[in-house]
Amino acid sequence: MMSALLGAILLLVMVLPPIRLATEASMTAHMLVQYTSLLLAGGLLIDGLPARWLRAVQRWNELGIAGLVGSSLALAVLMVPRVLDLALTDMRVECLKLLALVLTGAALRLSWRRAGVVVQVFFLGNVLPMMVVVGTLYQDAATRVCNAYRLDDQQDLGLALVWAAAGVLTLWLLRLGMRRHDVASAA
Amino acid sequence: MMLRTALLSLVLALLGWASASWLTNDFQVWTAEGARRLAVVDRPVPAPAAMLAGPGLTEASLPEWLARPGQVTIVAFFYTRCTTVCTALGSGFQQLQQAIAASPDDGVRLLTISFDPAHDDAARLQQYALQWSADPRHWAVATVPDAGQLQRLLDAFQVVVITDGLGGYEHNAALLIVDERGRLVRIFDDTDGDAALAYARSMVRRGSAG
Repeated sequence: MMSALLGAILLLVMVLPPIRLATEASMTAHMLVQYTSLLLAGGLLIDGLPARWLRAVQRWNELGIAGLVGSSLALAVLMVPRVLDLALTDMRVECLKLLALVLTGAALRLSWRRAGVVVQVFFLGNVLPMMVVVGTLYQDAATRVCNAYRLDDQQDLGLALVWAAAGVLTLWLLRLGMRRHDVASAA
Repeated sequence: MMLRTALLSLVLALLGWASASWLTNDFQVWTAEGARRLAVVDRPVPAPAAMLAGPGLTEASLPEWLARPGQVTIVAFFYTRCTTVCTALGSGFQQLQQAIAASPDDGVRLLTISFDPAHDDAARLQQYALQWSADPRHWAVATVPDAGQLQRLLDAFQVVVITDGLGGYEHNAALLIVDERGRLVRIFDDTDGDAALAYARSMVRRGSAG
């Protein structure tokens, strides 16, 4: 329950107009800080939902497949550069973007454990290369992909995306290694 | 259980496909700039009311200046302090002017509009015109002194100006083709002067033929 409260506070803080505009003033903060915070908020909010609801949702989410399919597609769409520009000028797109991020965070949390290694590999095999490709493009592009952001900002974000992908992969491998280790020592 | 999961996955996939398709105009564009360029081809944008000021242009209305039968205008936005993109733009326009002067009956004109009227007053614009030897018969250098009118013009043509953190600006520099009715009909890369001029000339020819 405590974590759900934390998630709600995080969500409220991030959508508060002054903070929303401040994070969206830079392309790097827009994608790294805002996207990550809202994904996290979505994941935390799950703890506030009645167990009955979650069980009902999970009946549609065997092996976390639906959640991870939805998440990887949502992340792919949210990484299209036009989204960042449109979110600044079109309130409908902004609202849909914020909602999609929170829902994606929730879906990831609901699906990750259920997924098991194979489905997780499939998800990461989709999302991480996408982040690396987008990140490399942002670093190498001679022109700006967003009219509202500077070229140096875009290059910073590109580098950060590649590092973020590497970080997620490292964390996942570490956890996998630890679990293997636990299983081995229990046997 | 698995059937429901498959069904939900399918619905989510369709949702993802639909939103991506909307966002990218059926997977044609990935950036706001791409969408802007595609949009003006489908729906030409009339120049909004704005008063121009510049060397040889006193109180000229932009829509009236642009809308002249048999004339197509290549418009670019800039600011005189700009030393990067706009230097390329200046020399690009100089070359366009030479090409236009070589066959002056083509009906193609050039117009550069400064989006920095606070700094680019009449004297600065005059200096800029001299620097690039802009010939007023072919190339007009101007600004829109009224901040509200300027913003409406930038909004209508989707020119996005941001600060570059060094006291200057970054902007989506491009060559805007405006037809004889004063409507923005096509956008080219600022490095694509030849293509822009060829397109503008073909528009004049088509206009006079039809």
